[in-house]
Amino acid sequence: MHKIWAVIRREFIEKVRTRAFILATILGPVFFGVLAIVPGYLMSRDTGIKRVAVVDGTTTDFGSRATTALKAARRGKGAAALPRFEVTRVAAAGRELAVRDSLVKVTGLSDKQAPGFDGLLLVSDSSITTGRVHYLGNNVGSFDDMRMIETEIRPVIQATRLERLGVDPGEVMRSVQGIDLITAKVADGRLTGESGAATFFLAYAMGLILYIALLIYGQQIMGAIVEEKTSRIVEVLASSLTPFQMMLGKVIGVGAVALLQIGIWTGAATVFSTYKDQILTALGATSSGPLPLSLPSMKPELFVVFLIFFTLGFLFFAALYAAVGAMCNTIQDAGQAQMPVMMMVIAGFFSVFALIRDPNGTAARVLSYVPPLAPFVVPMRYSISSLSLFSLVSTILTTILGVLVVVWLAGRIYRVGILMYGKKASFGEVFRWIRAA
Amino acid sequence: MNGSVVKVDSVTKRFAGHTAVEGLSLDVPKGGIFGLLGPNGAGKSTTIRMIMNIITPDEGRISVFDSVAASRDLSERIGFLPEERGLYKKMRVLDHLVFLGEAKGISRASAKTRAVNWLERLGLMDWAQKKVEDLSKGMQQKVQFISALLHDPELLILDEPFSGLDPVNSQVMKDVVVEAARDGRTVLFSTHIMEQAEKMCDHIVIIARGKKLVDGPLAQIKRDFGGRHIALTFTRNSDRATRILSDRTLVASSDDYGASAEVQLAAGADPDRLLKTLVQEDVGLARFEVVEPSLQAIFIAKVGADAASAPANEVHRA
Repeated sequence: MHKIWAVIRREFIEKVRTRAFILATILGPVFFGVLAIVPGYLMSRDTGIKRVAVVDGTTTDFGSRATTALKAARRGKGAAALPRFEVTRVAAAGRELAVRDSLVKVTGLSDKQAPGFDGLLLVSDSSITTGRVHYLGNNVGSFDDMRMIETEIRPVIQATRLERLGVDPGEVMRSVQGIDLITAKVADGRLTGESGAATFFLAYAMGLILYIALLIYGQQIMGAIVEEKTSRIVEVLASSLTPFQMMLGKVIGVGAVALLQIGIWTGAATVFSTYKDQILTALGATSSGPLPLSLPSMKPELFVVFLIFFTLGFLFFAALYAAVGAMCNTIQDAGQAQMPVMMMVIAGFFSVFALIRDPNGTAARVLSYVPPLAPFVVPMRYSISSLSLFSLVSTILTTILGVLVVVWLAGRIYRVGILMYGKKASFGEVFRWIRAA
Repeated sequence: MNGSVVKVDSVTKRFAGHTAVEGLSLDVPKGGIFGLLGPNGAGKSTTIRMIMNIITPDEGRISVFDSVAASRDLSERIGFLPEERGLYKKMRVLDHLVFLGEAKGISRASAKTRAVNWLERLGLMDWAQKKVEDLSKGMQQKVQFISALLHDPELLILDEPFSGLDPVNSQVMKDVVVEAARDGRTVLFSTHIMEQAEKMCDHIVIIARGKKLVDGPLAQIKRDFGGRHIALTFTRNSDRATRILSDRTLVASSDDYGASAEVQLAAGADPDRLLKTLVQEDVGLARFEVVEPSLQAIFIAKVGADAASAPANEVHRA
């Protein structure tokens, strides 16, 4: 036990010390931070108050109604939200082009000039029939500003049209109001308060985390074993440790590194998405717009299920990667020999996509009992639909069984393989190793 | 001494296409230095690997400390330096030694103390926090040497411990090995450098092509080999000297190095006659000494000069 512990610690400390690990671990949170903070920050910066002149060429009250609507636009939500536009109405019935040109000439529509305007909104009587409204400004590139103007002006035009037809716009608005499907997940006969979308996101995220961990760290295990073979340190190790101790120590040590890195990443992602508003405020920007990144809350039970299957899945595939590493003498050989293992990882990940629409269908039920796929499928099913305790326990047990078989097989391949130099082993030879070891 | 530490009993190991070791029996007595000699490809490393249980013999049995258990179960009592040196290149020297000590079963704290002591003794303390890859090859070999001794084993198995070392480092390592033996430990080492083995070993086994040719205490081997041997050094006219040495009425066999030679006198030949002839031929004699046969001479005589260089296809399996 002491020996395995020594191997685990060596793997863990040596991996964590590498520049690659430190960089990836720091860059992950930076990436999440950028993803969570920057869009919100830029959005709130960009959309400082804009000075808009409504050049009113109408003969009706349409121009003043449009002005009122624009004045009502707010940045962000809540009572404290600031107005988005500073609106000035310029009456210009019949001479809107002349007014427009002179305003452009005088103010230059520059955001540096005060007093002045950032943009001109041209409305005329024909706007109501054609639906065409012109806007000139220095901020036409701002998707957000343009969307806001459009959203504010559209109902005014629609209402004016309806009034002309003698219809009460209020009635129409009420009758065409869209419907809102509000989803809520029920698990074990109880409402969970999670929305459907959040659940889907979580199911994907869990599959993705396992997938990435396997691809990165599974291959690292394989590479490390090939390196131990080529540097021949394996002879010293083999005279002190059993192959099983060597393999298990490596798999657990690297697995712990994977958990640490993923823990840091998800921790950072959680912090950024939870305290996004506070961070934005601290940076002097108001929070606004839809959340670009928001994490659904993860129930403790789901977290436990995910952790169990993450661990089992990691053991399963890491043992296979270790066996592949032991079979090969160069990293190029290993790159080819790992294909079957990689296909299984990919199959597991994509089975999440395939089964997410019908998490309780026959396919999903059956695949939950296939050890290489279960680590992907079961947490997804558990998060989307409720899974009975019986099926949960039985899938865990079959996966454990699968892991034991694979670790046993891999251990035998490893035992013979690590001390075999020369050419890459054929599958026939590997089969003989399994029987002979 | 008493009892044997390593017992190899009629062991045979075949690799695809050839037999590396054939019916080999060894008995390494407790204490002292045991030399396993042989030309390249003789099966020395294969034998040591089998003793270390890195590979298993096809036939026969091996016991270490009177136990047939895998040597790693006894790994606390054995220190091993493999022929192919290998260390984790990215690890720091001290960390690496501590890890290998722990893998042998000693505690982390005592592994550290011992590693520091050894590094100081071999003058590597300044390198303790450096990565292994930053060390020269000789220094790496010293580090690996320390790792074999770190857990204070009763039995040291060293496969070609001095190969690739400069004379200074070779001397340092030799001192360590001799000291270990003096402290009552058993040292089993393989080499193909006869001079070294001759100076260090108490007991010698010579193998060639997987078979044992000579086995016994060094003094006994020399006595048994018998014959009168003469060491010669000449300074000129070496062609004439060569001609004299090929006279089979005088010389039974000779190992001619050009400027020096070791010869075995033919039966009934008189050393005086050889001396007289050499002086007559004016070879500028600088040394003429009746000696015990050197291990080199015994080795050549037993293995045969041609076998000293093994067929190329066997060398990589050594």
